[in-house]
Amino acid sequence: MKMFFSVYKSCIKTALVQATAYRLNFLLSMLITLAFNLLFPLVTILIYNAGAGFPGWDFSEVLLIQGVFTLSTGLIGMTMDGLVWATMQHVREGSFEIVLLKPTSPLTFLISTNFDADSFGLLIGGGALFIVGLVFADVSIAAIPVFIVLFAAGFCVMAGMNMLMAATSFKWVGNSRIPEIFNSLMNFGKYPLTIFPAAIRGFATFIIPVGIIAFYPANALLGDWNLRTLLPVIPCAIFMLFSIFVYKRMVRAYEGVGG
Amino acid sequence: MDVIKVTNLTKKYVTHKRGSGFGAAVKSLFKREKVEVVAADEISFSVKKGSICGLIGPNGAGKSTTIKMLCGSLYPTSGTIESLGMNPYHERKKYVRRIGAVFGQRSQLVWDIPPIDSFNMNRAIYGIGREDYKSRLSHLAGLFEIEEVMQKPTRVLSLGERMKCEFIMAMLHNPEIVFLDEPTIGLDILAKTKIRDFIREINAAGTTFILTTHDLEDISQLAEHVIIINHGKKVFDDELIKLQHFVGEKKIIELTLPQPFNAETLHELNVRLVKEKSSHEIVIEADTAQQSVGELIEKLSRKMHFTDISVKALPMEEIIAKIYSD
Repeated sequence: MKMFFSVYKSCIKTALVQATAYRLNFLLSMLITLAFNLLFPLVTILIYNAGAGFPGWDFSEVLLIQGVFTLSTGLIGMTMDGLVWATMQHVREGSFEIVLLKPTSPLTFLISTNFDADSFGLLIGGGALFIVGLVFADVSIAAIPVFIVLFAAGFCVMAGMNMLMAATSFKWVGNSRIPEIFNSLMNFGKYPLTIFPAAIRGFATFIIPVGIIAFYPANALLGDWNLRTLLPVIPCAIFMLFSIFVYKRMVRAYEGVGG
Repeated sequence: MDVIKVTNLTKKYVTHKRGSGFGAAVKSLFKREKVEVVAADEISFSVKKGSICGLIGPNGAGKSTTIKMLCGSLYPTSGTIESLGMNPYHERKKYVRRIGAVFGQRSQLVWDIPPIDSFNMNRAIYGIGREDYKSRLSHLAGLFEIEEVMQKPTRVLSLGERMKCEFIMAMLHNPEIVFLDEPTIGLDILAKTKIRDFIREINAAGTTFILTTHDLEDISQLAEHVIIINHGKKVFDDELIKLQHFVGEKKIIELTLPQPFNAETLHELNVRLVKEKSSHEIVIEADTAQQSVGELIEKLSRKMHFTDISVKALPMEEIIAKIYSD
């Protein structure tokens, strides 16, 4: 584990140095990511200013969900997004053997060397929204540990999805549209799940549990939790372990390209 | 003592055959014909500790696939590899810690940052002690005289400078075996010489090198043991001196003539006409054991006029043909 953190720290430093090599691009990317993601709560503001809203949810509660969602996607963007694109690129160009030459797991190496500093803007934006939500919503302090556990479970789901998307590259070379499909599905996680029909609620809870990304953690923070609320943590952890297993198995399918 | 032992190594791929053009592209959406490619076919060989072994063959012969399997990056379809007493693909993490590799067409350096930052990253990955790292880096950089180059972003380096940094990246953890896949590709003669000197120096300290190349000069200057692969099969596996016996001292000379070629001009020159590329371009083969290149050029210039001349080593295909015919 000590070795993992040492490698991770060094690779992140390298990734940051790499990101700042083009300073203007680095700053612009961060600002553009931040601006685009701060625009998305604007829709919520417009809806509530027009006298409408999501039934059963006041403005600050929705803002809290959206803050958790942005924070979570910022964190996953920074740590895991690079894995998908780097795996795709290495497999397509036949350079995955360079990854396999390193005495670490390919997952560790690719996750750490593809740390995405651009998503830092998203993390700041999410943090700001989350704090606004915390200040104005009626938050239960006792639920903070539950929130952290559920937030971590949401991270496991998204990390697992990224690993599965990356793993498909070994068999399906050039599958660049798959992340778009997942991102579309993730949009369900931006809003309170209770506003959707039962079928979508079930899908977002049990099939592809995007509800765990923001809705369940924020809902717990708002005081709506009991021990059963923690049950989804188990399948989320299993899902991530399964994704790690699938990625590792798929590495064996790597065949390179002509030399 | 053998450091690598390969037995009946086979690698088969399944690819999809697709015709060219729009129709074939549409058809391939629904039905694709599978084609099995045998990149390595029951190859067996062994490599002695501390030697330099040349693995050569024409394009698509299976050299790179064999190297990748030896590095633990590709799983063989069948056969076994025992390298440093380990199975490279089953004990990959432990194994790659003790080997190094330079792929001439794939970079291990991070493109946008100076090589020194990539070296630092490798230090953490391989868990090299700070003092060991400093002294080894200073030794390797000194051999290549690239102390200043390492501080510039990789993207601004020349190919020669970049290759030198690739070598340092591969050697920092003091590997026992180093795999080189076309390490001198595209380099000028000065850079090639520097790299060959570097390999000789590191090899003298006991490191084993496995080298694939198209440049026979690399082989003749470095390798003691040569393995030739063609169509995935091993066709030669012996000392360099035995290969030289097959090949002789033959050179290929291409001449461009100002007037149409007349075959009579080659009489008494002790050369063989290989091909008339056009009425003004010919290819001849000469045995430099019988007459030096200088003597031959002198004789040629007395017998005929030519506007251009190039002297090359015998192509790999011809060497293989000679080995087959013997």
